[in-house]
Amino acid sequence: MILDSLTVPVSEFARNTGWEPKPEGLCRGEVCVPAPGALDGDHVNVRVAAERLGMPLVDSPEHGVYALGPATLGGRALDTAVAADPELMNYDGSRFSLSSLRGKKVVLVAWSSY
Amino acid sequence: MTVALDVVPDHARPWSELAAPTHPCVVDTTHATGAAFGFTNIPMAVWIDENGVLVRPAESASIERSPLRDMDVPEGLPENLTAMFRAVKEIPDDAEAYRAALLDWIDKGDESAFALSPDEVVERSQPRSSDEARAAANFELGDHLRRLHGDDAAIPFWREAHRLHPLNLTYKRQAWTLVTTAPGATENDLMQGPNEVYESNLLDDVLGHGGFGAFIVRPEL
Repeated sequence: MILDSLTVPVSEFARNTGWEPKPEGLCRGEVCVPAPGALDGDHVNVRVAAERLGMPLVDSPEHGVYALGPATLGGRALDTAVAADPELMNYDGSRFSLSSLRGKKVVLVAWSSY
Repeated sequence: MTVALDVVPDHARPWSELAAPTHPCVVDTTHATGAAFGFTNIPMAVWIDENGVLVRPAESASIERSPLRDMDVPEGLPENLTAMFRAVKEIPDDAEAYRAALLDWIDKGDESAFALSPDEVVERSQPRSSDEARAAANFELGDHLRRLHGDDAAIPFWREAHRLHPLNLTYKRQAWTLVTTAPGATENDLMQGPNEVYESNLLDDVLGHGGFGAFIVRPEL
């Protein structure tokens, strides 16, 4: 997730990371992590959330932007088997949502031109 | 569905158009699926059931044995091509078993022996250390800066991503091909040889890790 501020709206944090702030903490699928201090009204304190979720924060001071990396709670790429919905693009530039295939079995195959 | 891990959609577009797929065929311009699912090489795949739950984590995925494996290495090739050819022939081949498992799941769904429980999916997913998570952040930041400020802006962050996650071949090959592909080329360079920008290159990196096998996540079937 690219950030130009370390305080972001809850909806933006949830959409980009898959982790949703709830009363019980930061939640994704069936996993919830207590995160006191992460929620500031309708914004997320990214530093606090990152520390609780084991997300690295990398910055480019020259350009005034940050990148928030994926969580490392269990030392695995997946914290939950609930499929993420990463930002994907159709070739016409429109957004494609993996969740649009709900109701079908999906084999998501990654390839590349290189 | 297929997803091209290409930061420049136009690099993948010709191949997609040529294939004329009847399935969703999309582009992941930020390698978000790498961070989301654990793709570290291609081809890799995840299986997702009708409820949006993964039943298999990211694994190397092939359903057809490559004819390259059964070819003799042509004589007279340049040394680097010969070495690359031999390395490709040694890539572990699980195509037949993977295809059978896939068809079994398509037919039987949750009753398939190859459909894992949620806990198994998580447990079998790729390891992710703090270094590897930091590599993902560096790759994403580098790509973001590349879009805004040009290719050179990505370099220090992509170098760091390579250092932090040396077994992530998508980060490496994506970066290498952008510097080794000749201007005006109609296809991305696949050899990704020595260059002045990054410390390593495809052949040296693969041989240094003992072959392509180091970058393969064999499906446990």
